[in-house]
Amino acid sequence: MKVSISWIRDINSRYQSSADPMPGGIDELVERIGSQLGAVDELIDLGKKYKGIVVAKIISCEKHPNADKLSICLIDDGGVVKGVSRNKQGLVQVVCGASNVRAALLVAWIPPGVVVPSTFDNDPLVLERREIRGIASNGMLASPKELGLGDNQEGILIIDEQLKPGSLFAGALGLDDYIIDIENKMFTHRPDLFGMLGIARELAGIQGHVFRSPAWYRHNTKLPNSNSRDTHPLRIDNQISKLVPRFMAAVLKDVKIKPSPNWLATRLAAVGVKPINNIVDLTNYFMLETGQPLHAYDYDKLKALNPKSKHVSLGIRMSKHGESLSLIGKKEIALQKGGIVITAGNIAVGLGGVMGGSSTEVDNNTKNVVLECATFDMNTTRKTAMSYGLYTDAATRFTKGQSPLQNTAVLAKVVEEAGRQAGGRLSGKIHDDNHLSPSVVKSGSLHSPVKVAPDFINSRLGLQLLGSQIEKLLLNVEFKIIKDGNGLVVTAPFWRTDIEIPEDIVEEVGRLYGYDHLPLVLPQRDTTPAVKNQKIMFKYRLRNLLASAGGNEVLTYSFVKEALLKGAYQDPKDAYHVRNALSPDLQYYRPSLVPSLLEKVHLNIKSGFDRFLLFELGVCHVKAVIDSEGLPTQLNRLSVVTSSGQKDLSAPYYHARQMVEYLAERLNINKIEFRPLTPGLKLSKQWEITAAAYEPYRFAAVVAEDAIVGLVGEPCISLRQLLKLPTATAMLELDIDILHQKSSTSSYKPLNKYPETSQDICLRTDIDMSFEKINKVVSDETSKLGSKYAYQWGLKPLDIFHKKGDSLHKQITWRVSLVHNDRTLTTGETNKFIDELAKEVHVKIGATKV
Amino acid sequence: MSDMGYENKQVRETAKLLHDEFQKLHDKKAILRSPRLSALYGHLKTLPAGEMRAAFGKEVNKLKADLEALVKKNNAVIIPLTPIDVTAPFDINLSPEQRPDLMTSKESSIHPLTREIEVILDIFGRMGFEAVESREIDDDYHMFGSLNFPLDHPARDDYDTFVTDEGLIAPAHTSTMQNRVLKERVNQLKKGKAIRAVIPGRVFRNEDLDARHEHTFYQLEGVYVDEGINAGHLIATLKVFLEEYYGQKLKVKTQPFYFPFTEPSFEFALSCPFCKGEGCHICSQSGWIELLGCGMIHPNVLKAGGVNPQKYTGFAWGGGIDRLVMMKYGVEDVRHFHSGNLKFLRQFS
Repeated sequence: MKVSISWIRDINSRYQSSADPMPGGIDELVERIGSQLGAVDELIDLGKKYKGIVVAKIISCEKHPNADKLSICLIDDGGVVKGVSRNKQGLVQVVCGASNVRAALLVAWIPPGVVVPSTFDNDPLVLERREIRGIASNGMLASPKELGLGDNQEGILIIDEQLKPGSLFAGALGLDDYIIDIENKMFTHRPDLFGMLGIARELAGIQGHVFRSPAWYRHNTKLPNSNSRDTHPLRIDNQISKLVPRFMAAVLKDVKIKPSPNWLATRLAAVGVKPINNIVDLTNYFMLETGQPLHAYDYDKLKALNPKSKHVSLGIRMSKHGESLSLIGKKEIALQKGGIVITAGNIAVGLGGVMGGSSTEVDNNTKNVVLECATFDMNTTRKTAMSYGLYTDAATRFTKGQSPLQNTAVLAKVVEEAGRQAGGRLSGKIHDDNHLSPSVVKSGSLHSPVKVAPDFINSRLGLQLLGSQIEKLLLNVEFKIIKDGNGLVVTAPFWRTDIEIPEDIVEEVGRLYGYDHLPLVLPQRDTTPAVKNQKIMFKYRLRNLLASAGGNEVLTYSFVKEALLKGAYQDPKDAYHVRNALSPDLQYYRPSLVPSLLEKVHLNIKSGFDRFLLFELGVCHVKAVIDSEGLPTQLNRLSVVTSSGQKDLSAPYYHARQMVEYLAERLNINKIEFRPLTPGLKLSKQWEITAAAYEPYRFAAVVAEDAIVGLVGEPCISLRQLLKLPTATAMLELDIDILHQKSSTSSYKPLNKYPETSQDICLRTDIDMSFEKINKVVSDETSKLGSKYAYQWGLKPLDIFHKKGDSLHKQITWRVSLVHNDRTLTTGETNKFIDELAKEVHVKIGATKV
Repeated sequence: MSDMGYENKQVRETAKLLHDEFQKLHDKKAILRSPRLSALYGHLKTLPAGEMRAAFGKEVNKLKADLEALVKKNNAVIIPLTPIDVTAPFDINLSPEQRPDLMTSKESSIHPLTREIEVILDIFGRMGFEAVESREIDDDYHMFGSLNFPLDHPARDDYDTFVTDEGLIAPAHTSTMQNRVLKERVNQLKKGKAIRAVIPGRVFRNEDLDARHEHTFYQLEGVYVDEGINAGHLIATLKVFLEEYYGQKLKVKTQPFYFPFTEPSFEFALSCPFCKGEGCHICSQSGWIELLGCGMIHPNVLKAGGVNPQKYTGFAWGGGIDRLVMMKYGVEDVRHFHSGNLKFLRQFS
């Protein structure tokens, strides 16, 4: 919202509304706005743009001897501009190409050395003294366009105000102004602050000044009477009164369309609105002043659309699919359902609340106009503006929900001003299609009065304001207050849409008082320690364990592309699809973490990292896996990828498996198994989709006490190709919550008093027998023998060997360590133990001791 | 290619070198861009026109064609990996030295964002706040409805959310957890124990990527509900947190703001801790850093959480973590965070 300080000052002085808005200067005001109204995006010193431009009087004007369209002017600048060549009378010579130039006019002169305002923001053009067709010219006499005051460049700007030559142009036309741009977001619930009047009120309020709205705005119920006959009949047919609760319109006849007076044009231009003509400018002016958008139609163009009808009928209805509309500026749009259109007969002539149509716009030949002052539903306006990408000034205001209680005042004022500026007279009465509830109309406020006690306000702000202080703050911005015992019954003025509950009054008082004056006191609390989130603590632990093992933590996006899912043989149908994804790369919620990590391997190999371990703690989601809230379960996963650019002798699987064993050991998960994923092992949905990314026969399920903790293995060939993975790449993905459940604190066994003896045992078995199967038998038998002899025992696999030439067998070696609680074991005892063990294993699975 | 069959000695020798090079390459296609090959073409140009040049050219072209064929062949043929015994602790026929070993922690790293969350949670933990993790997929009720956003309300404009086919939402703020945090703790509140929680989490905005904008980033939400909680408490609490975080005294200020879920709402700024408010490149010479949004929890939000707004009041805030980290370390591009680039990551031990 661009705020013009000149405009605010003008309101305050013209209507005796309030005191000067910036008694302490502009910087202080900007700071105060920041702390009590909203963030200031920009402060523009408009005066800089017009620096050096003066008002000059044309004393003589003669034809240029060498050019038909040029004139040579001698101008009087009161002698104020220094360093410019003058004739004996002190006049300055300027060559001018405008057709409307003539002697005796007051004009804006841009002297040499001064910047042309229209070029101020981009690539400033500084004028110089130069010869034009052989005649010296000092600067230029400026057109409205060159002054940045609209599109008109056909002639120079003629100053009709009574001014002395040599006056500063900016000051004379109110352009020595500050424009403060306040962030719109702040005003989402404050439609009244999209008008200078609302801002003027607020600036008074936050500085503790009283503000009184102008009488024409405050006493807003009187409609002007028409003295003339209704020669231009109008009917309103509102079919959607829920969305358009109020539609007012007036017909003005015999208007004379012309450019607006300078004061009006400059005021609009100062806040970035282009002057068009006197009628359109007036509608814009009052929109900017009150926040209430207006629209002007050409009555005769409306009539021409339905020549047979005696009157013009403005309809208000929902748009239909297949309709088209040419907007102002000649942009054609194909209408969709769901927007509000204004129609003449049944032809769409405007997009309600957003923009008017070109077929009925007011132009230089317009004689009679219809002025519309309506209230459009904020949500519908928002949807319409969004679907056509039309973020107009009107839409910006209607989407904040303008109060329908100011329409009369605004329309009556525009009618009055239009009479003055364009000579129009009201035809018949002002139409008011009004669907407001009787109670709202009667009370003159949109919401019921709010009862609030000063204690309530103080307790929420941490203040100790007196009731009288609170009253003063609210009365300053025109609330009505009735005292009721200890409480205050507060009625919001008709332009406020946001005051419904006591907390809204708290905000109002807090802001007007100034939040920067709140005492900063910490809340009182007892000494109970805050509950520790064990899940988060467990993640810290995992993170530290992985970093201790050389890991690098990465974060990857929660969204993946379809190609990655397909590369991992994951069915996209099992992943949540984002319908408005930013790019195809981010179309699906990932159903497992591993592929996202694998995606980060190649780039690091390419940058020369030789061997690394990436890990991520993240969440993934799988369709049909639903939590107790009925929402997709947040699958908390730890994923690790190891990779190396060098070829390794070992299958990469064992790198990843080793990480699982390391984690299990550090987390004191006692029994961990690696089960090959044979068809017998049925997986749940979430593990099935995770497993798809693994190379068959080269991955395993990590199982603890019969629960699947996760998967470990190597990437499938299609991922290896898609992501250019080196051969030495392996990965794992574990469920953090299950890992957490299975983990325990360290356990301790007293140290042995007697030394441990150990001996290796090497068994030859069938090559196809899995290590696990053999190991289990060896372990079980060791345990039995251990019990039998009362030895404590340990078993550690040392080697797996496949003798060249023997394709049927493999040899596995374990180190068996034994200890007795009461004495040192002899070699004989150890040998006996090993022999018995070998014998038992041989009986069980036919393995022979080597 | 083993046979080579090139007449020219120079081509033959280069072919052999290229062959060795090929074996070492990950991206096999890169062989076609090898400087050795382009050197041959370079040499060709220097030869005088005539029979010799033609013969040499023919040989070089043949080498190139052979390499192309090799690349093609190598990509097409997928060598199936042989099954392994996944139940074994290590691979067959390898001595202990040949088996993989854990890496050392010498080049390990923890992501700066998760590390920072740890630091922040620690401070809030000491201040009596428990931590609750946020969700990455949620419904409209938690993201908007329970937070006093009416359907189709323009206030939703500021949240360009990602939505799934089912209408589920990728949360654009950690406030999506507020309702749950209140509901789960309303009983403790009734027993006289305040609700104090901070909620870190990953959030998403439908925003194009550039050095300063990410569609995926991290936020921390905070909630405090008890009897007699006021706006002064809010500002004081955030101030002491920031002073502890930056290890120095700070000035703070608030600007009124609008959020549907707080009333009143503020934007919160602190004096720049990097220049002591003097003005520097981090604070864009303003001396102030706008850090987070906050306010008193709207009574409708308390009500939706089962908390009686007549009896209890509370405050909430939410702020980005990525920016804190960027300012702290001078990270110039927000995209580094999710790049997985070890050059970036290994700088954070």
